[in-house]
Amino acid sequence: MVLSCVVLSTWGVCEGAPRDDDDATKKMLEKLPRLLRRRLTPLARTVFTAIDQCALETYDMPLVFSSTHGELAKSFNMMRQIEAGEEISPTHFSLSVHNAIAGLFAMAFNNQQQCSVIAPGMEGIAPGFIEALGLLQEGNARVLLVFYDEPLVPFYPAEPFRLSADEMALALCLSADGKGLKLHFSRRLESGNSGEQPLQLPCLVNFLNNPEQGLVLRTAYKGWCWQLDV
Amino acid sequence: MSTLEHELKQLIINALDLEDLRVEDIDDDEPLFNEGLGLDSIDALELGLAIRKKYGVRIDQEKDDVVKIFSSVSSLAAFIESERE
Repeated sequence: MVLSCVVLSTWGVCEGAPRDDDDATKKMLEKLPRLLRRRLTPLARTVFTAIDQCALETYDMPLVFSSTHGELAKSFNMMRQIEAGEEISPTHFSLSVHNAIAGLFAMAFNNQQQCSVIAPGMEGIAPGFIEALGLLQEGNARVLLVFYDEPLVPFYPAEPFRLSADEMALALCLSADGKGLKLHFSRRLESGNSGEQPLQLPCLVNFLNNPEQGLVLRTAYKGWCWQLDV
Repeated sequence: MSTLEHELKQLIINALDLEDLRVEDIDDDEPLFNEGLGLDSIDALELGLAIRKKYGVRIDQEKDDVVKIFSSVSSLAAFIESERE
């Protein structure tokens, strides 16, 4: 049977770039190796804080990270530096890949679990759920699904294409069964434009706070629906 | 501690974002990598770039004994001095 229901046991969210003296961020930073803290960009701090909000005892589970743009601003700035004939920082270059935050997380917690990092494009948050469902279907007891994005730099025409929103990270610990919020995930025929992941994330958070209302997100060719499974 | 060694310690702190360290916390002969300050290979590249920008000295990994040069602040200072002569 193809799994279309998941149990959300715990979740954490971090909205906006956290400051180092925010309690939640401070608590999270204290758990990290000293030399690794300096490598955390503002977006990485947002992601790590959201994961920390899940209050998991271990990260002994596959991880799925989903981000539409990753840290595109970093790459953009490096391209500007190259254009100006300047040398670029090796540290910034090494952290400019799409899986940089996932890599930092693995290093910070010495985590050797399977890890996927996806760029879902116009499909928004649904591919992250599909990836997580696949991992649960394979027999994994739990999956940590993490969404994150930050605003695009103004150079990119984000507004007409609904590509960019405020910085946010959302971490969901999902399982096939057990205690928690039981969610049913399905595909809908109707298409539309709910925007890409950055615009969909606040909708998902709103749904998690008010799950009885359900959530429908539409993309160019189809829609996706999340409902409480009763 | 010579002026160059003092400068290099400040350069290491600034270039590598070691904000919680002070110049006094780094010994001249303390290993910079692994068991010493705990720096890694990305730090070596970053430090090489910072030294090139500040002193105009290029560390060539094909010709120079990179492990020895980066082994401590003293050895880095000695290399920069020798390249300046």
